[in-house]
Amino acid sequence: MTNQVEINRKPKRGVSLYSYAGEYGVTMSLEDMFAEMHDMGAKGLEILANSHIEGYPNPSEEWLENWDRLIKKYDIVPVEYGHWVDSRLYQGRHLTPEESYEMLVRDFKLANRLGFTVLRTKLGVIDDDLTPVENWREFIKMALPMAEKYNVRMCPEIHAPTLLKSKMVDDYVEFIEETGTKHFGLNIDFGVFTTQTIPASEWGPNEFIMPESDHSPVEDIIPLLPYVYCCHAKFVKMSDDFQEMTIPYKKIINTLIEHKWDGYMVSEYEGPKKDVSGYAVEQVRKHHVMMKKILGE
Amino acid sequence: MLEKPCIQSRGFKNVVRDGEIVGFQVNIRSLYYRGLWLSQLRPATVTVNGETFLGEQITWTINGVTYTQAEMAEIGDVHWGLLEPATLTVAKEGGLESGSHEIEVNYTYSCSYFPPVADTVLGGAQKRTLIMV
Repeated sequence: MTNQVEINRKPKRGVSLYSYAGEYGVTMSLEDMFAEMHDMGAKGLEILANSHIEGYPNPSEEWLENWDRLIKKYDIVPVEYGHWVDSRLYQGRHLTPEESYEMLVRDFKLANRLGFTVLRTKLGVIDDDLTPVENWREFIKMALPMAEKYNVRMCPEIHAPTLLKSKMVDDYVEFIEETGTKHFGLNIDFGVFTTQTIPASEWGPNEFIMPESDHSPVEDIIPLLPYVYCCHAKFVKMSDDFQEMTIPYKKIINTLIEHKWDGYMVSEYEGPKKDVSGYAVEQVRKHHVMMKKILGE
Repeated sequence: MLEKPCIQSRGFKNVVRDGEIVGFQVNIRSLYYRGLWLSQLRPATVTVNGETFLGEQITWTINGVTYTQAEMAEIGDVHWGLLEPATLTVAKEGGLESGSHEIEVNYTYSCSYFPPVADTVLGGAQKRTLIMV
């Protein structure tokens, strides 16, 4: 029996509702997005607290009851709760460690109530290299006991142009090892492995194009896996024959399988035409055809 | 469901106080992918048929509570969600006439996880022609 479980340890599929940003509130409701996930057998859910919780940070009882109902109805696993420490919340100054702590704990409670165990904790940055605010160690350390109490893992997202072998990642790993905490880890965005770009002409005039940057080799994720609680399965373009055009998915997923990483990969569509109704929805479906195939599902 | 553009057609009307038309209102939705704390927003300007209004001439009503733009800069625990249109009330004696109006709303917001330079880049002008009945 134990062996059986060992053999079956592999990554699982999910969706970040960020993918449907252009549809939400205009053509799709929360329930529509859950129904879409259910169709695809993508159980793992990432929400963005500030986007998908009506009445955030104080949702009504009625909203919470509806949440519980929808999670059950569509067989959804709440995986990752995206939230922010908005360090530049007030113009002209940074948040104090105490203010940042309060912001974190408010989200721990809400994430716990909604059933999430991993947090995509976005920290404020101070420069073009995305270096986090200088006092991050202080307020994260303050928050660890509450993270334990509310059973959540804070995970900064490692996102291009950051490399997996970099001072930023080293600093996070050092913090985890020094504190020995199980409540702070990493979210790896697959965009760090980008090897190709799509032609600029495929992007619309008002769309943000991620500037080209160095990328990490896929194997650089291996030593980090013990600290990785969730991955953003970033993608930019799925072809009609179900290939992702910019990121080496086969190699990434096979590496995760080989190393028995069994967390969720949540699809995060960040390609063109998000504002064209139905386009991102179709892209996510194609993405899951590809992931299913590589996973051997 | 909301209308797709930032500037909503529903809710465009004059504001009457004590029997006098003292201004007009227009609803907007946030096109950003996440909701915003009020203090992240930088003061908006509203331009109607070429006439620009700013600062204390504009208030924001979110979830039934009305704020001046100066107040908003200090409010970091009230959130403007994506499904809640904000009502901009613009002080303009006599309001607007029945008919078509070119509306432009312009505001930016801070985003702490982007380099600080982005704080004055995100957001920008939104335009739409609305019909007041």
